[in-house]
Amino acid sequence: MGEFFNQYFDFDVMGAHFSEVLEGFLRNLLLFAVVVVLALSWGLILALMRQLPGRKLLPIRGLTIAYIDVLRAIPILIIILLISGGIPYLEFLPKEIRIPQWFGQPDPFWFGVLALTLVYGAYMAEVYRAGIEAVEPGQMEAARSLGMSHGQAMRHVVVPQAVTKIPAPMLNEMISLLKDTTLVSVIAYAESVLIGREILAERFNSSAIILAGAMFLVITLPAARLVDYLIRRNQGKVARGAHIEVG
Amino acid sequence: MPEPMLRLQGINKRFGALEVLKGIDLDVARGEVICVLGPSGSGKSTLLRCVNLLEPPEQGEIFLEGQGICKGPDSGTGEQSWELDFVRQRVGMVFQQFNLFPHKTALENVTMAPEKVLGQAAAEASAKGTALLERVGLADKLGQYPQRLSGGQQQRVAIARALAMEPHVMLFDEVTSALDPELVKEVLDVMRELAEEGMTMIVVTHELGFAREVGDRVVFIDEGIIVEQGKPADVLDNPREERTKKFLGLVLER
Repeated sequence: MGEFFNQYFDFDVMGAHFSEVLEGFLRNLLLFAVVVVLALSWGLILALMRQLPGRKLLPIRGLTIAYIDVLRAIPILIIILLISGGIPYLEFLPKEIRIPQWFGQPDPFWFGVLALTLVYGAYMAEVYRAGIEAVEPGQMEAARSLGMSHGQAMRHVVVPQAVTKIPAPMLNEMISLLKDTTLVSVIAYAESVLIGREILAERFNSSAIILAGAMFLVITLPAARLVDYLIRRNQGKVARGAHIEVG
Repeated sequence: MPEPMLRLQGINKRFGALEVLKGIDLDVARGEVICVLGPSGSGKSTLLRCVNLLEPPEQGEIFLEGQGICKGPDSGTGEQSWELDFVRQRVGMVFQQFNLFPHKTALENVTMAPEKVLGQAAAEASAKGTALLERVGLADKLGQYPQRLSGGQQQRVAIARALAMEPHVMLFDEVTSALDPELVKEVLDVMRELAEEGMTMIVVTHELGFAREVGDRVVFIDEGIIVEQGKPADVLDNPREERTKKFLGLVLER
């Protein structure tokens, strides 16, 4: 038992490497912050493409559904490996894209941004879709009957109501995304888990990895509580028969 | 005879295997108020939804002010087309469930389409919207959100919202059916005024009193066809067809 604790909960090791692990964790947060903005936007675009009306636009709907299904069906790790392993060899692309190092960030960072945005865009598109489908069909009909185009009705009537119905599931996706930023360690992005493993290799002690896990807990646990609170608040509103207000 | 405001010719509508409208012919004169009666599932609502292309008919042609507006089953669903713009800016619709936009105030509900569709300036739309809400007796509710309004008030906002687009024809789809009995009158009163001002109206309703008093013509629909039509007094008091008699008997029993 003591050996187990020494291996995983050696506070001396944690203390000695705290600032390195924290630096890695801040890289997790940076990756998260960039991806969450891009994926929220990409997800909304996908959800709207999936809802396009009419027979002519059926191919776009079909392709969008295929994209969303496939990206959600493949392990994220494989997407990350494919992108970081593939893009540098696409010789028709300019070098700045094959080996992106914008804003002083290394190329694994940008490959991680691309992979996670592609995947989480698909996840978030499904959340948006749930929100859009939860809006009464009569809302779209009323807007259309007043002469609005499908796009206007989506923008001014449906989407503003849809986004008020999805904060809890969207926050769940964000929690997953934050945790999944550790996957980019596989292509040598120096985030907290990679640093923890380097320390393990150096000192034969796993405590730095546990420390990294603890840093995630500090953010994800309160976030999970917040999700529960949002769900309960929402149920309360539904039970009282009220619409959810945008404010 | 002057050109009818609206002419329906051989309108057919099916949902999969279910044929809802089986060849409807109907002319509506300018300023006429037509009350459509019929049992539930008879196709009354579908007929209204065909007129403004929310449910484009499979067969038949619709002429609005002489213009053919049907372009087959895709008419109402696809991207914005000339026909859709033409129809939706001339035909207003009020729904059974109000369908007010819950995230907008009463006034914003009324001004949204004039601003976004007609490109009215905010001040102009707001002044007109205020006048319309005053007209339906809601001058003191401009800033209220729909959830704070009674059903009757919500439905009057919905009427004002449709009128804001300055339609030539108004469609009413069982607009009092979801209301508590004591709230029905305030909505019917607004509709009565509208009729007196000369609005062309097609009113799907179970309110026989309103049909008798305000309607120029009553149309009885059952199983997707027009069974009987005529002056309200004739159809309501001396129905010729068995199906009309049976239906009126059931409604009056309530």
